[in-house]
Amino acid sequence: MAQSTVRPPAARRDAAPAEAAVPPRASSRVPLRHRLRRDRVLLLMVLPALLLLLVFHYVPLIGNVVAFQDYDPYIADNAFQAMSQSPWIGFEHFRHMAEDRLFWQAVRNTLAIFAIQLALFFPVPVLLALFVHSFARPRVRAVAQAVLYLPHFFSWVLVITVFQQMFGGAGLIAQVLRDHGHEGFDLMTDPGLFKFLITFELIWKDAGWGVIVFLAALAAVGPDLYEAAAMDGAGRWRRIWHIQLPALRPVVALLLVLQVGNALTVGFEQILLQRTAVGPTASEVLDTYVWNTGLDNGNFGYGAAIGIVKGVFGLLMVLGANKAAHLMGEQGVYKR
Amino acid sequence: MTPNSPSTGSGPRSTGSGPNRRTFLASSGLAVLAAAGGAPLLTACGGGGPKNEGATTGKKLKNLLPAYVAPDLVTPDIPAENGSSAGFTKALPAARLKTSVPERLGRGAEFTVMSPIWGNVPPRGNPYWTAMDEAAGVRVTWQNQQGDTYGQKLGAVLASSGVPDAVVVPGWELTGKIPSAIAHKFADLGPFLSGDEVKKYPNLAAIPTGAWQRSVFGGKLRGLPMPSATTPNIAPFHRTDLFEKEGLEAPTSAREFHDLCKQLNAPRSKVWACGDMTWAAWHIFGVLPEKPYYWKLVDGRLVNRYETDEYLEALEWSRKLYSAGFVHPDAKAETGNIGDLCAAGKVWMYCHDLSDWYGKAAVQRVDDKTFRMEAFDYFAPDGGAPTLYARPPADIWTFISEKADEKTVRDILALANFTAAPYGSKEQRLRMYGVEGVHHTLENGVLTKNGKGNNEVFSTYEYLASPAPFIAYADLPDVTRGMVGWQQRQGAHTRKPLFHGMMIIEPTRYTELNAEFEDLEKDVVRGRRKVSDVRRAASDWRSGGGDKLRDWYQKLLDDTGDSAF
Repeated sequence: MAQSTVRPPAARRDAAPAEAAVPPRASSRVPLRHRLRRDRVLLLMVLPALLLLLVFHYVPLIGNVVAFQDYDPYIADNAFQAMSQSPWIGFEHFRHMAEDRLFWQAVRNTLAIFAIQLALFFPVPVLLALFVHSFARPRVRAVAQAVLYLPHFFSWVLVITVFQQMFGGAGLIAQVLRDHGHEGFDLMTDPGLFKFLITFELIWKDAGWGVIVFLAALAAVGPDLYEAAAMDGAGRWRRIWHIQLPALRPVVALLLVLQVGNALTVGFEQILLQRTAVGPTASEVLDTYVWNTGLDNGNFGYGAAIGIVKGVFGLLMVLGANKAAHLMGEQGVYKR
Repeated sequence: MTPNSPSTGSGPRSTGSGPNRRTFLASSGLAVLAAAGGAPLLTACGGGGPKNEGATTGKKLKNLLPAYVAPDLVTPDIPAENGSSAGFTKALPAARLKTSVPERLGRGAEFTVMSPIWGNVPPRGNPYWTAMDEAAGVRVTWQNQQGDTYGQKLGAVLASSGVPDAVVVPGWELTGKIPSAIAHKFADLGPFLSGDEVKKYPNLAAIPTGAWQRSVFGGKLRGLPMPSATTPNIAPFHRTDLFEKEGLEAPTSAREFHDLCKQLNAPRSKVWACGDMTWAAWHIFGVLPEKPYYWKLVDGRLVNRYETDEYLEALEWSRKLYSAGFVHPDAKAETGNIGDLCAAGKVWMYCHDLSDWYGKAAVQRVDDKTFRMEAFDYFAPDGGAPTLYARPPADIWTFISEKADEKTVRDILALANFTAAPYGSKEQRLRMYGVEGVHHTLENGVLTKNGKGNNEVFSTYEYLASPAPFIAYADLPDVTRGMVGWQQRQGAHTRKPLFHGMMIIEPTRYTELNAEFEDLEKDVVRGRRKVSDVRRAASDWRSGGGDKLRDWYQKLLDDTGDSAF
């Protein structure tokens, strides 16, 4: 496994056709019922996830029809009847979206937050993983991991309260500054710094949790590689550069592609909770906009239309990022 | 306004979180009850709009309303005046309480009630619910949802096929398409309550007619109202004990308030002059209320709240408080509870629901008997009498599902008749304080809820229907006197806005017309946008549908006049 992770791209390209060619032939020879019997345990294991996907992702897709209606969920007994009774308005919601200043403001904010999070958040778990992995003593490593994981389990309300107590206008830092004769300082209500603030909060809360997957990748590196490198005189930095970072590369590529696919999903509760503190001009993102117009104001059709645009954009981004990963010799989310 | 657990110390509108604040501002009414010359009228000013749009007025409205039979069971210690609540300052021993419902009207129907709750949901089968069920002759399954996020649940539940038998809907949740849901999903109670039919439920017959007027949705009497005082519910609070200690007096003009803030503000000592005062500013500057009472006639033409100078002046004044650094940073970030900071001496003045008066006193006086927090009287910007607008006479309703059978409807009404029993009755004692010895004790005239009482006896039953508004805190009679007195003094300066008490449903195409203003107000007072942006927004509002909405209201005014009868 360790060898495969550090295998040069050229070798993998050679191997890929052979690997890809064998399974279809093998499966075509074995009758379906035999294959079902043979793989029944695996199929059973995957069944709950498939059901979840079906019930919570595919079935609700039917609801997308309301994006083309002046939908009123209350005119009938259930959603399907309401859909059948609501008037069709074609692409009216999409036309409105193109002219909706607040929608485009939300798109701009969403993309800006995504870019900042990608640049500032994404590398942090990788660096933390390398740091934690460097602890030789298992107990120290376990303590470090526990400390890093803990904030992930705090609710956003709690995280924001902690930040308010630290960085708010009546918080610890502002008070220390005032005690020393300086002006106060209020990071929590500064619209200009909001996008950095929420990235900072995200790092504090979730960077530690993000370490898990990278630590798993590092754990898969065989000790023989480190020994061989040490025999060749490689120091700590060389081991990181030539062994650990290449071992993390496929995982990084995979997560990056998934992250890009989620570019328009940059946090909801965290942003909604701080909306008043900085105002919608700085903080409104697509998800909060859908919440406010679609659910709060009852314009369900328009909310669904924005959801469709968001989904199509996400799909295109995943396909594009995956293609880019392939061009760089990585596997991405799926094989070519 | 009735007592809640002192630990929560508040009614439905007293929590300080963002969503609650926002939904509260979202205002209430949507349907107008209007009348002209007694002609029956279900106006659809927009022209053939949905079932719920328009106004029910005149003779038709009169035919729908329940008869009024004045209650005579108890006499309040402080009679209602100028639209205030009545006040009760004493708690009688159980043996001296009157019986309001001599015969159980419930016939044992089982039904579900969905209601907001501000506190922890009590466990099923708890002694309080059991006692209420037995006393009223019903079997209720409560579906309590947290009050601050109630609107989110309400929208989803009403859109489903599983609407509970009875659903509580606060006026501030009547946004978006919720009014449409009310007309489509809930039963016409007219056959059970209109005219003399209501006399089968004497406590419902004692609910003031104004509250019933606001309960007609889509041409039918659908709501069971919780009547409210028509005096302002937002009060500007200050710690009277600390003011007296410092030799300070409450401000009597906008300038004085600002100067007082300057004197008191001390961020280095972690003390700020005030919280967000925008809601108080609406009253100080005489700003029109929210939808649908947001019009006034100027030279014969309807002018909207967003177009008035008062609106801009109130925003400008609030903005200056922020820019001068007088407002506590937590209020700017809309986090935490500013009332608690005031109670702790970290904020000198703040505004909130009047119920905070009792809520804070009940909690603080456990440790500090000298604690006094009171509301000061509103003033005009330059001093003198303020221009205050009357609030609607009911703003919370319970609706009964259209699918409920007659036995269920009758038993829900039986329970509502029980919960609407007046203060001073056995029924109201049980509703407010639970079972004596289990939830409360009465010693030396002081009625106190114990831990179990505080955990189980929450405000939910009162939303089913309540008697005429009253304030009754027998444990803190000075607070009761203070609250009612404040309401009566403000009530003396209160005038009715156009269409007062009428239920107006605006056409759904105007649903989002005002949506931007709330964010804009917050941005302006916090200095993120200019007051001139509000002028621009008002101009956009006019061209984006506001002028057509004005025409719609003008037609309503022409057709029906400015009152229901």
